[in-house]
Amino acid sequence: MASLTNLDPATLKRRSFIYRKLAAAGAEFAEVNGGAVAMRYSAPAEDEIATARRMALADLSVLPHCGVKGRGTVEWLTAQGLAIGADSNKTYVQANGELAARLAPTEIFLLDSLQGTGQLIGKLNAAWQWAPGAPRPQQGYPTPRQDSHAWFMVTGEKSPEMFAKICGVDLRPRQCPVGTIAQTSVAKMNAIIIRADLGSTLAYHLLADMASAEYLWTCVEDAIAEYDGGIVGLAALRTLQS
Amino acid sequence: MAGMNRLPAPFGIWIDRTQRISFTFEGRQIEGFAGDNIASALLANGQTMISRSFKYHRPRSVLTMAGQDSNTLVQVGDEPNCLADKRRIEPGLKVEAQNYVGSFDDDKGRFTELVERFLPVGFYYKSFHEQKKSWRAWEPIIRAMAGLGKADLKADFHHSYYDKQYLFADVAVIGGGPAGMAAALSAADSGAEVILVDEGAEPGGSLNYARFNVDGTHGSLTCKELSVAIRTKRNIRVLSEAVCTGLFADNWLPVIQGNRLYKLRAKSVVVATGSIEQPAVFRNNDLPGIMFASAAQRLVRLYAVKPGNRAVILAANDDGYGAALEMLDAGIAVTAIVDLRVDVPMTEMAQAMRRAGVEIIAGHAIREAIAGPGKIRITGAIAAPIAGDGKLTDSGRSLECDLILMAVGYSPAAQLLHHAGTKFAYDTGSHMYRPDSLPAHVFAAGSVNQAYALDAALADGRRAGWLAARDAGHSGAAEPPAPTDLGSGGVTHPWPIFPHEKGMDFVDFDEDLKYKDLINGIADGFDNVELLKRYSTVGMGPSQGKHSAVAAVRIVARETGESLHRMSVTTQRPPYTPEKFGHMAGRVFEPERRTAMHHRHLELGAQMMPAGLWWRPAYYGPKSERDRAIREEVSAVRNNVGLIDVSTLGGLDVRGPDAAEFLNRMYTFAYAKQQIGRCRYVLMTDNAGVVTDDGVAVRFHDEHFYVTATTSGVDAVYRQMLWWNAQWRLDVDVANVTAAYAGVNIAGPKSREVLKRVCEGVDLSGQAFPYMGAAMAEVAGIPARIMRVGFVGELGYEVHVPASQGEALWDALMAAGGLESMRPFGVEAQRVLRLEKGHIIVSQDTDGLTSVWEADMAWAVAKTKPFFVGGRSAEIQAKKPLTRKLVGFTLANASDPCPEECHLVLKGEEIVGRVTSAVHSPSLNKVVGLAYVHPSDVEPGKQFDIKVDGGKRIKGLVTKYPFYDPDNKRQEM
Amino acid sequence: MKVMNCPLNGPRNISEFAWGGEVKTMPDPSSLDDRAWGDWLFLENNEAGVVHEWWCHVPTSFWFIAERNTVTDEILKTYPAGELFKDRVNFAPKAEKK
Repeated sequence: MASLTNLDPATLKRRSFIYRKLAAAGAEFAEVNGGAVAMRYSAPAEDEIATARRMALADLSVLPHCGVKGRGTVEWLTAQGLAIGADSNKTYVQANGELAARLAPTEIFLLDSLQGTGQLIGKLNAAWQWAPGAPRPQQGYPTPRQDSHAWFMVTGEKSPEMFAKICGVDLRPRQCPVGTIAQTSVAKMNAIIIRADLGSTLAYHLLADMASAEYLWTCVEDAIAEYDGGIVGLAALRTLQS
Repeated sequence: MAGMNRLPAPFGIWIDRTQRISFTFEGRQIEGFAGDNIASALLANGQTMISRSFKYHRPRSVLTMAGQDSNTLVQVGDEPNCLADKRRIEPGLKVEAQNYVGSFDDDKGRFTELVERFLPVGFYYKSFHEQKKSWRAWEPIIRAMAGLGKADLKADFHHSYYDKQYLFADVAVIGGGPAGMAAALSAADSGAEVILVDEGAEPGGSLNYARFNVDGTHGSLTCKELSVAIRTKRNIRVLSEAVCTGLFADNWLPVIQGNRLYKLRAKSVVVATGSIEQPAVFRNNDLPGIMFASAAQRLVRLYAVKPGNRAVILAANDDGYGAALEMLDAGIAVTAIVDLRVDVPMTEMAQAMRRAGVEIIAGHAIREAIAGPGKIRITGAIAAPIAGDGKLTDSGRSLECDLILMAVGYSPAAQLLHHAGTKFAYDTGSHMYRPDSLPAHVFAAGSVNQAYALDAALADGRRAGWLAARDAGHSGAAEPPAPTDLGSGGVTHPWPIFPHEKGMDFVDFDEDLKYKDLINGIADGFDNVELLKRYSTVGMGPSQGKHSAVAAVRIVARETGESLHRMSVTTQRPPYTPEKFGHMAGRVFEPERRTAMHHRHLELGAQMMPAGLWWRPAYYGPKSERDRAIREEVSAVRNNVGLIDVSTLGGLDVRGPDAAEFLNRMYTFAYAKQQIGRCRYVLMTDNAGVVTDDGVAVRFHDEHFYVTATTSGVDAVYRQMLWWNAQWRLDVDVANVTAAYAGVNIAGPKSREVLKRVCEGVDLSGQAFPYMGAAMAEVAGIPARIMRVGFVGELGYEVHVPASQGEALWDALMAAGGLESMRPFGVEAQRVLRLEKGHIIVSQDTDGLTSVWEADMAWAVAKTKPFFVGGRSAEIQAKKPLTRKLVGFTLANASDPCPEECHLVLKGEEIVGRVTSAVHSPSLNKVVGLAYVHPSDVEPGKQFDIKVDGGKRIKGLVTKYPFYDPDNKRQEM
Repeated sequence: MKVMNCPLNGPRNISEFAWGGEVKTMPDPSSLDDRAWGDWLFLENNEAGVVHEWWCHVPTSFWFIAERNTVTDEILKTYPAGELFKDRVNFAPKAEKK
């Protein structure tokens, strides 16, 4: 991983759709997965962690994420060593902290861990190819979730109240246990919300149309203001998780 | 003391005397305390008149002190129609009265009262139904005279910060009076999560101000006890100063608190909204100083405001006596209690009244209130013996007073129950409509449910809370018993209506409707309460019949001889109280989509235009040079090389053993034999044979097609595909990958040279990569899907890459095109270029009825396929003669103006079609376009009429298209 | 706002759903004359009572079937389309037609 010395996101090929906003907010970037991820902002690290515990928004869009869907998806992923349970709209944690989100019986959205090494996803991307001949074994089809979906994280105890301003699903801890997926409408956009706490801090992944990333970011920034929320970098999230 | 009418503590439980707040009313400085609302502060300072009435501009003041009437509507800054008895004062608030001519104190509009007989019931109908034209002359006068607040349309409007928030509860309790508090506690005891919605500054409802025993301690002690219990419950959330305005399907409850609209969803609801006092009808019953007994008690108890100095109580129940005791405690003299009842029960309250030496005048009513100068206060009342229902004997007694309190009965505040579809029945014992059968998951408690006695209200609350919790899946201990004696008898008088021969005996204060108006309306034939409502406007004002609906029903019943059992109050619809547009709007959630290169376009000076939810560059350069920019962009593509962002184009990955079969069914063309690495046009029709979308299908693998769709059509196409395959069960997977791919089209004679510089591992030569060829390769080190297709009719390549790397692709191509001075081009230039080539845009050149035959797309229909969506209908359409057909055209006379989209195509005087696209082509230096024309005019060389702006007719000349490069040589270079 | 139970996503506000018309299985188009095809295409039963309808959960593009009483607006039951449409639909090649 590169150092934090004023990495310009535009020098890398993979770019978050909102890197300008992050830079304007004073982000210090690091290279992950061929893109620049905002590691921290100008505030002292402990303040950022306190913000993350209270109410925060982070952009993880360049971190590795991918999808597989279609008949045979779960069978193929299982053959690749993943552990995926039977229920849809639940997530299944993999060996190195990756999350396999079962969106439907034949659809998986895979999120790398916050380390963003891309090991598992890289392995899967390399492994999937058209089997020769016909009929071919059923193995699902890779879907370009890395690019179709912006990946934000919303953290802190005020998250459910904040979400209640932009989303109609009850995300309070008791109603939405860790690992629950809500595929719903957020600020009038289709979105996927996944409860995935960081240590003892309430946290949710928020995945939605990449092309609307700026719009959604702005909506969430507006919604968190009431709770003294702020934007935080990946470093704070990693600290909370460890 | 912040007002001459202010009482000492312990009066005023909702005000904080340590915080003084100054504001202005009609420019006059007013001082109040924190916790005051505008009305309480005004009355504390002796400003009794708060508004002028709607029609006759009569002085009005506090009626309910609960935000339930329109008497206290005021203008606050630029916000009209604020309820003065709800809106809290803030420092510097600028409050103005509404609806007056000249000055508030000397309102010229009040003289309309003198011409009252010329403003009969049904005025609008009678005056303007036959003579619609006279409305134009009258409208400005009527609007100026009969109005509420003013929306200043010239002001610098901005949407203040309003927002919405969802709330979830097992049990929602609406109303925080004794029944509501008891219900919340009981539901919480069962383990339910409870939200208690209450209009007051603190829960308690009538416990905060009403008299439940002689010394007045019972209410406050009960309130304290319940409040403490509620505060200790972690599963009760109280929303104070919040109003629930409706009860919708599946217990969906809008709750307004401040600038926020909560969208509360509850598994079950307890409606404990209490009841609303009803006025007595007598002459001058609307003037300042005449109010409900509950209003006076609220003023005294909650805000420490003396509503007057000498009161007459018009009573028909014990609550009037409680109010009288309260007035005495507050140092207000009570001249007499005028009781409608002949036999006044000697309750503890009545006995206390006797002890206090207050005269009780039984079997009497008030014939009229005596108005002081300007009618801004009253000086007395005339009490007269009741001779029969609504009739008073001629004798009468003058009683001195500046305050008349009405305590003659109630009507359940059942609006929410009405919204939910509750059936009501007239109760002969209580003379009220009571809820008869409740819908599922809705419960009623307290006086809205006829439980008037305090013990009954509490017991009813406990019972309803328990039931609601059980309904929401939380079973508590044993079911609490229902109250045995509701105490609903003897609180409401069946006929507190005493019309006066000189009128001004108001039934509806909002609309200035007098007794006679209703009688005349019924005489005019509107003898059904719903009809009478619409004809007379009774109940249609801001308070929506809260004080007039019951009286209207009683009057109609009496006049028509209909039984109250067979009638009902008029339908109550949401909202319960007026809602602001700000609450409806909330935050503005209008998603917009930006491509990966969005900011690059802005940096290049692009003018952006919306395309569905997307933003696309229209052209690059200042608006003042629009035409030149478009011309130059067109020229760059025709003669050199241009680059356009096509990321908004829809993209679908169709994969699986049945992929080709699936496309065969979804699109008109044939795909089974399409070669790998080749593109083919796709045209979609719906089941009725109407053209709905188009694009290209690229076959990257035997079982993989990458299909493009129009920007605005892709979501519907995707949804339709899934819908069809939910029925067909083909072994195919469809993924909408629109957002995942950024794309550009690099077009123009020099496009190959530019692309070659950054494209690795693929031979771009004409032989190796022909027109309609496709390949996966790397461009500038980014994995790309390259398709040699072109909407613009030049050598060109479409390059699709992962969206997150789209900006990097753009940067690399722009750098690579530097040598050739490659120019980015926008949608406007693209539209010109495609029209020069005669390519249609689905939904611009087609409409909701266009068939493949009309669109001249027969070449895109595979006729031997077993099936495609729309195929059967297309067969039928083909058998019928066409009524129009799309043709290319130029203008017969080159000097005529360029027609615009939707200019009509005429044959004689008959409309036969329209222009769908037309533009002046810079490449050909003439107008080219597409239009629907009559089937007899489709041959090249035929002329047809186009009606352009100003009604002028010009001649279109049918021309074979493509207009430019008709042999398509350039795109195949 | 009503709540509808999506067989995949559970109970949601009705605003998350799009209506897809009554379930009426398409007859083999080649077996119908023009008028019968037109009738099937354009005529709706408009039933007062229980109807079977297509609904789509928009955020997931998931199509399912709902049984709804059009008189009371009660949603009685929702289930995946696969419960009704179990088998692959095939169309006869044109050459084999009459």
